[in-house]
Amino acid sequence: MTRWLSSLVVLACALLAVCPVSASAQTKDTLTVALPSHAPTLDPHMHFERVGILVNINMFDSLLHRSAKLEFEPSLATSWKALNDTTWEFKLRKGVKFHNGATMTAEDVKYSFDRVIEPGKEKKKSPQYGNIRAIKEVKIVNADTVHLITDKPFPLLMERLVFFPIVPKAHIEKVGEEAFGSTAAVGTGPWKLVEWKKDQYIKLESFDQHWRGKPAYKYVVFRAIPEVATSVAELKTGGVDIIRNVSADLLNDIKNHPLTTISTTPILRVHYVALDMRTAPFDKKVVRQAANYAIDKQAVIQKMMAGLGKQVTTVVQPAAFGFDPGLQPYPYDPKKAKELLAQGGYPNGVDITLHSAAVDWRPQFEALGQMLTEVGIRTTVKMWDPGPAWNKFFQTEGKATHGAYGNWGNYSVFDADAVLHPLYHTEPGGWIGKHYARVEGLDKLIDEARSLVDPAKRKPIYSRIQQMIREEAPSIFLFTQNDTLGISRKVAYEARPDEWLWLYAAKPKN
Amino acid sequence: MTAFLIRRFLRFIVVCIGVSLVTFAILQASGDPVSLIMPEAPEADRAKLREALGLHDPLPTQFLRFVTNAARGDFGKSFFYRQSAFGLVVERMPTTLALAALAIVIAVAIAVPVGIVSAIRRNSVIDHVATAIVFLGQSMPVFWIGIMLMLLFAVQWRVLPVSGWDSWSSMILPAVTLGAFSTPLFMRIVRSAMLEVINLDYVRTARAKGLTEWFVICRHALWNAALPVVTVIGIQLGLLFGGAVLTETVFAIPGLGRLIVRAIVQLDFPIVQAGVFVIAMIIVTANFLVDILYVFLNPTIRLR
Repeated sequence: MTRWLSSLVVLACALLAVCPVSASAQTKDTLTVALPSHAPTLDPHMHFERVGILVNINMFDSLLHRSAKLEFEPSLATSWKALNDTTWEFKLRKGVKFHNGATMTAEDVKYSFDRVIEPGKEKKKSPQYGNIRAIKEVKIVNADTVHLITDKPFPLLMERLVFFPIVPKAHIEKVGEEAFGSTAAVGTGPWKLVEWKKDQYIKLESFDQHWRGKPAYKYVVFRAIPEVATSVAELKTGGVDIIRNVSADLLNDIKNHPLTTISTTPILRVHYVALDMRTAPFDKKVVRQAANYAIDKQAVIQKMMAGLGKQVTTVVQPAAFGFDPGLQPYPYDPKKAKELLAQGGYPNGVDITLHSAAVDWRPQFEALGQMLTEVGIRTTVKMWDPGPAWNKFFQTEGKATHGAYGNWGNYSVFDADAVLHPLYHTEPGGWIGKHYARVEGLDKLIDEARSLVDPAKRKPIYSRIQQMIREEAPSIFLFTQNDTLGISRKVAYEARPDEWLWLYAAKPKN
Repeated sequence: MTAFLIRRFLRFIVVCIGVSLVTFAILQASGDPVSLIMPEAPEADRAKLREALGLHDPLPTQFLRFVTNAARGDFGKSFFYRQSAFGLVVERMPTTLALAALAIVIAVAIAVPVGIVSAIRRNSVIDHVATAIVFLGQSMPVFWIGIMLMLLFAVQWRVLPVSGWDSWSSMILPAVTLGAFSTPLFMRIVRSAMLEVINLDYVRTARAKGLTEWFVICRHALWNAALPVVTVIGIQLGLLFGGAVLTETVFAIPGLGRLIVRAIVQLDFPIVQAGVFVIAMIIVTANFLVDILYVFLNPTIRLR
């Protein structure tokens, strides 16, 4: 028996000695990032996943780049100008190399757009088609010049081109789309693919011939870690260097840890309660206004979001083009809320239910319900699991009476259209507009602003829209939020307002 | 014996059909995948996609197509990955099976000796401590045990990796976590099974023959107490797969559970169907094997 035991112990020791201890701190030439999951493909045109875009931008370049200050910068295009309302000219950077050694040409640029637009084809393969559907044709003028021709004036073109990676035509035609999306992804970006182990990690290595010059880190690893507690534990033990979306309750813990700190920045995400304008009580404007007066936005921001947020007047955020700084947010005024509620025919209050699937924001959601209850809009909050049942209930069937709390990220497009159209336009695609919001004349104004290129002409229309929706109050307008990264103290990197992880800017710190 | 096997096999088939019907029905009731695949697309494009996916056909047609294809291992392409759903499931299978197997090994390795000891030293301190641990173990959710083990062993003491699935050392915490899920039940079963046989005549006879206590326990008593344990392991396999979902999520393991959970959230019908189907098959097969094992462990069982 004792002999048995001792041999077992010896065996166990031997086993442990053989095992590499992967918890040991990463070497300095590797930057490891935790993402909740991986996109289905590395092909930058064939998915629409934030987690995929974050990987793609470090492997591929687009015609334009967006600086951390949100200005357009040259990338694969060195200069650009509008020749008329529908034709844009781009000069291409010369001598840019793909990871396989081939030189990028105007052919590759045209090919990249064509594989998404698929001219003449009925059914489009790429989920990004909707983003650039306005582009009718890409014309090669000469080796260094292309023209992008849109079917009508398309003011969002620049924004869309910031993430529209250029891919190598000859390479994809040789290896096929499937290999390109999994094992043979080739771009012009700072890092090239080494290995992708699905749901484990994507490993990249720096590309020596990258046109910006070599990045500070030789290797970048994107690990897929679905659980927040796990990624925090990895951060604290050096298993990963950057984690995203740190919530308010974890801020101090990570900030005060000897090995980790945070970097936080306001981002383009706006919170609101979509009110159901089809049914009572929110079919009455005064009741919707009452709901807006009932919310103490500052209290929520200060007490529940660690002060990381700003109250908003409507859903259009200060950072977005078209924002009207002249309009003031609804103040917190419970007395006025009660008056308006009485005016709307509910002197004794009214019972409502609000729904939400924003599970990370449950405490805030419950606080909103409480504040509404205090002025007489007695609210039951119903929390849903984000998933099929919720999507069906809310989006497909529009049954979330009397309203739904949620937030919108604008697809990282800094333009009023990117929030107004998807939320309030009544054509399919408008989450709220499809069922809940009915503001007379709003569709027409959104369409009008969309069809103009001249910023000077678009701006007044957006001002009118914001006045209109502030007055009509199709939603309770709440606040913006910050995105906070948890970062190893060995890494110098700043969170960006567009939530991108542009790791070329990351440097080792001593 | 043959009739017994045939009967079991027929039951196996019936269960398979039941499983596919349920899988099919649940997913039918849960919304429109097209609006998730093409969130920005206009209605015309969505209609075309629905057409291409066959979502317009009447339900019986869809079900029939589903069953005939499933029999060939063809669940269609994942909406999300655009690859064969069955292939994706099979790709993740070994990881989850390895995790479940390790967990069972750990659970048995702990539960059997402790169960035996608490049976033969009934009402002793060891028995009471073991019972207390059983209660504790069964009242702690898997993900909580996982995070606690991680905080202790990986963050506090730094002896094991936090997460991942790339070395032996990274498999220890998840396997223990998932094993902890089954250990209490196993322990309980071993204890009561031992108590049942330990005072029977043949055990007393064995003792009377002058055999050592250990030999009596291990050869005579345990062999007969093994029967309910084997059954429970078979049944536990299903629960283990359930527990594996959480364990895989907590420890970032690229297994089947994680694949399916994500597919459910994304309304990726083919993966959910393939995954549930494959797991159901494994469980049904395991139970089938347990039935057969029974016969060998206890020849007195009637083959009904």
